[in-house]
Amino acid sequence: MAVKLSNTRSYNTVMDGLWRDHPISSMVLGICSALAVSNKVENALAMGAGVIFVLLATGIIVSVLRKLIPRRVRIITYMVTIASFTIIVDRYLDAFYPEIREAIGPYAGLIITNCIIMGRAEAFYIQNNPFQSILDALANGVSYTYTLTSMALIRELLGFGTVLGFRIMPEGFTPWVVMVMAPGAFFVLAVFLWVTRTMARVEPE
Amino acid sequence: MKEKLLMVIFLLVLGSILTTALVAVNYYTKPIIEKNEELKLKRNILRALKLDFQEEEIEEVFEENVTVKEKGGRTFFIARTEKVAFLFEGSGLWGPIRGAIAMDTALTTIDGITIIYQEETPGLGSRIAEREYLDKFIGKKFSPELELTGEGKAVEENEIDAITGATLSSDALIRILNNNYREYNEAFKGE
Repeated sequence: MAVKLSNTRSYNTVMDGLWRDHPISSMVLGICSALAVSNKVENALAMGAGVIFVLLATGIIVSVLRKLIPRRVRIITYMVTIASFTIIVDRYLDAFYPEIREAIGPYAGLIITNCIIMGRAEAFYIQNNPFQSILDALANGVSYTYTLTSMALIRELLGFGTVLGFRIMPEGFTPWVVMVMAPGAFFVLAVFLWVTRTMARVEPE
Repeated sequence: MKEKLLMVIFLLVLGSILTTALVAVNYYTKPIIEKNEELKLKRNILRALKLDFQEEEIEEVFEENVTVKEKGGRTFFIARTEKVAFLFEGSGLWGPIRGAIAMDTALTTIDGITIIYQEETPGLGSRIAEREYLDKFIGKKFSPELELTGEGKAVEENEIDAITGATLSSDALIRILNNNYREYNEAFKGE
């Protein structure tokens, strides 16, 4: 007898990460970088890719070693793993995408302190097998990226009149400078949280 | 005791493996990163000197047209087109501002400016890095210093328009240019 898709463990892992336990809007993790790096679509995509990479690497390492990691040093293990892969991302961007690296500024290095990674390692990877952990890492990473990107779409469009550097708004359009500055990030994130949480509540259990 | 020892061994092993990976990444990316920095510098100097170049041939154009000269402990980039460029640096409103400035060989008239790095407020202070604004410096003279005036009011050869809404950033840029000019001018003429 075929198992209903929505009852499988993998389906639930992915749906939790993508929507039900959305890292930004439900768990409210990774807010700092979401506010800072969502001013341009290009930067949001690069940041998202970096976070997905570090999440995946951490998920694989922690879940493979989960039976070996001594309980009392598990947090140090996460930190060492996350820090190493973050430095790799930072160096990679510096070497191949110096302009994006400059625009993201210190936030590439601050992936180390992104609570999504630490949080998922402690809540999920340390207890689950590598396959589930990879699914979880992808779902959470994609969630983070689509949130940043959709925030950046709004902010870049209104703040610069462009999307990915291409001019969208007509010539006479006055950019809303506030949108690309810190206050704009708070407005957009607040609206995002409000909309997604309202939608999530009406979803049947 | 055995448990403690295992913890230490575990961390040592994991740490060594990850450190090895980092050393490898560093070994591989270091020359590329250094190259990027160098190209960026050359690109901006060429732009300040208004020498045309294609992205792929920065090195060659630089080699052909520019000679690097040390004078009084400062580095000057002398172009075959009778121009001198040097790098300037200082604190802006929010962070460092770095750039290149090109002048005539007597170091009196500004011929071009580019900004290499700035952290001013996006959309406001960051406009100091826009070509439109930087072009206002062309033909201006440090006599004896550049001075900021209200937007659209610059008439004298040492007056520069401020950017409305970004007075502090434009002020910082003028201050940086004045300070750097003083030092480089002394070094250039000191010998």
